[in-house]
Amino acid sequence: MQIYNDYKDHADFLTIYIREAHPIDEWRMKSNEKDKDDVCYVQPKTLAQRVAIANDFTQRFKFPVPFGIDEMNNAANDAYAAWPERLYILDESGRISYKGGNGPFKYEPKEVRAWLAQRNGEVKHPEPAPEKKS
Amino acid sequence: MNRILLWISISFGGLVVIAYVGLSIMAGGPKDAIGMLRFALPYMHRGKLQVGDSAPDVPLVALDGATRFHIRERSNGRPLVLVFGSFT
Repeated sequence: MQIYNDYKDHADFLTIYIREAHPIDEWRMKSNEKDKDDVCYVQPKTLAQRVAIANDFTQRFKFPVPFGIDEMNNAANDAYAAWPERLYILDESGRISYKGGNGPFKYEPKEVRAWLAQRNGEVKHPEPAPEKKS
Repeated sequence: MNRILLWISISFGGLVVIAYVGLSIMAGGPKDAIGMLRFALPYMHRGKLQVGDSAPDVPLVALDGATRFHIRERSNGRPLVLVFGSFT
C-alpha cells in the first residue's frame, strides 16, 4: 500500500483478487483464526461469494488501490500463475516488464519499488496516520 | 533378495519421513504439511510468462459484481503494477 501511495502519480496499480489461499474448508491456518481481524472464509464457489469477500477486504482495510476480481474460471490466475500471491509490472506497451516470484516466500514488493524507483527516482511520502478507533 | 528389498523399503520410508518432517517445518506444522500437499502444491506454478511477453489481457469483475473490464484497460499509458492475492 505504501508503494501505491508513493508511486500512484507515476504508474497505475491494479489488485486482482484470486482464489483464497487459506480458506477454512481447505488449508486452514491457525494464524487466520488468531488474527484479531478473524479472517475466516470458505473457498468461494460462486462469483457472488468471491465478490462479497473482496468487498469485505476493501471495506475492512479501506483499501485504496483499484480492484478487480478473477472470474470463477480462474482465467487471470491461470494466465499469470498467480496463486497464492504474485506481483507483475506491465510496461506502457502491455508487455511483462517485471515478474515476481510465487508468494509468500518469493513475494518481494521491494523489487517492485526498485523497478519504479529506477524509472521515476526514489519517492517516499509519509505513511498515512492510522485511524483513531471510536 | 529379501534383504535388498528390506533395505530399499527402509530407505524409501526414511526418505518419506525426512521429506514430511522438512515439509512440516516449512509449512508450520504436521497438519499444515498435509494442507500444503493437498491444497497448495497443485495450484503453485512458475508459469510460462517471461519478461518481454505480451501480457494476457484477461477479463475481470469489478467490486459491484456486474461490471467487466480487461486488465490492460487499467493502464493509462503508464506502467501497470499487478498485485495478485486473496484475503486469507
